Amino acid sequence: MSSTGKDHIIKSYDSELSRLTGEIVRMGELSASQLESAIDVIGRRDERAARRVVDNDEAIDLLEQEISHDVVRLLALRAPMAGDLRNVFAALRIAADIERIGDYAANVAKRSIPLSMVPPIPPTKGLDYLAELAAEEVRDVLKAYHEQDAERAYQVWKDDAELDEAYTGYFRQLLTYMMEDPRNITPCTHLLFMAKNIERIGDHATNIAESVWYQVHGEPLTKQRPNRDLTSSPESVNLGDKPAK
Amino acid sequence: MNDLAAAIAAPLADVQESPKIKVRDVHFYYSGVHALKGVSMDIPEKQVTAIIGPSGCGKSTLLRIFNRIYAIYPKLEATGTVELDGENILDPGYSMNRLRSKVGMVFQKPVPFPMTIFENVAYGIRHHEKLSKPVMADRVEQALRSAALWDEVKDKLKQNALGLSGGQQQRLCIARAIALKPEVLLLDEPTSALDPIATSRIEQLVEELKSEYTIVIVTHNMQQAARVSDCTGFMYIGELIEFGDTEKIFTKPDKKQTEDYITGRFG
Repeated sequence: MSSTGKDHIIKSYDSELSRLTGEIVRMGELSASQLESAIDVIGRRDERAARRVVDNDEAIDLLEQEISHDVVRLLALRAPMAGDLRNVFAALRIAADIERIGDYAANVAKRSIPLSMVPPIPPTKGLDYLAELAAEEVRDVLKAYHEQDAERAYQVWKDDAELDEAYTGYFRQLLTYMMEDPRNITPCTHLLFMAKNIERIGDHATNIAESVWYQVHGEPLTKQRPNRDLTSSPESVNLGDKPAK
Repeated sequence: MNDLAAAIAAPLADVQESPKIKVRDVHFYYSGVHALKGVSMDIPEKQVTAIIGPSGCGKSTLLRIFNRIYAIYPKLEATGTVELDGENILDPGYSMNRLRSKVGMVFQKPVPFPMTIFENVAYGIRHHEKLSKPVMADRVEQALRSAALWDEVKDKLKQNALGLSGGQQQRLCIARAIALKPEVLLLDEPTSALDPIATSRIEQLVEELKSEYTIVIVTHNMQQAARVSDCTGFMYIGELIEFGDTEKIFTKPDKKQTEDYITGRFG
């Protein structure tokens, strides 16, 4: 990826930087697919498919190792400067974020296994919406990275508030279900963890957005981001409906 | 401005408020070539300023203007002003002797005089001051210590300086320059002929010397400029394209030409 539109005098340097960008995009695409697959297996209550998703996480981990290796090699052999340095630095940070996104997707798939062993409950469907928002964020921010589009990255960064808000709503819904019938506690607890994992995926997407911003502008994104995840705030005690007496 | 912002802004403010050398609209001509085209910059006191740029960009020419060494050749002309502590050194009335005692220079290739190590350092001092033997010995020792060479040569001060290694010879040249207690030290690619270990020693020395001297270094090695300097200027075909804080130049330069050069995209 060229920071100024010109190629390097040493052509192999360009290939190495392009390879790094390609690896990040591939890794990000894998992690978004993993999240979609994880949600799919919940609906299908398919244990074998869930285990496949968990196993597939290794491919993301391996890509991260490859990227770390390439970054160390670039730093040692090319001593990148200015825009190149920011590209390499951003790649390292973004790879770590994508690796965590992959872990969270695998966690969602893992929890779908015990969830499939208890009778289905209606709020399971609500998880789809959260996952859809998170996957969209991941794909958008990767596009921003690929196109070096800081404005698109900033939009993702702002839009994460929608996912936070949806998560807070879902949290409230699950609390209500648990209060209504203690038999819902086991599946709802799994769903709560899964929802939190998905909400964290959104946070990592915002981290990536910050890295893209830094890569393009050379300065951190310091604007105030609205956080609508209220589940850990003092107000959270009022999030669940009161149980019927 | 809050305290943190003020603390961050402080070094830059210093750079702007008290430059040791103030260069304004300097042009330089030789054999019909317009080698420097209106260069202006402020060189901060007791900091290291690096000048980088491709061959022929005028960086060494600019350095040579700072001690008027060009004046030894005929038909060379510099216009504009270079103020050292507020006095224009390009003014013919500014004594060359005075200038040379204030501005020391070290060149790309170490050129020790064909005499003893001791005499190499003492030679310049004698030209400016009359000192007794013990005071001179003390002065030579101080210069060699400052140049991080004393421990290596203290037992062979009477040996010929040409027997020293390249790195030692270059440090001897630095000792020779600082023996005159200059205020400014000009280093013209001082490590380009040295191996990596000798280069590291010189870089360490530059770091130590900057507490006492204002240092201007011309280098082709961008990593070196990034490592040793506080401010960096990028020159191209006789013009100063960008000048500023080294960290800024090497992480987020303002000018595309600077970015292309330091990232190896020039052409």
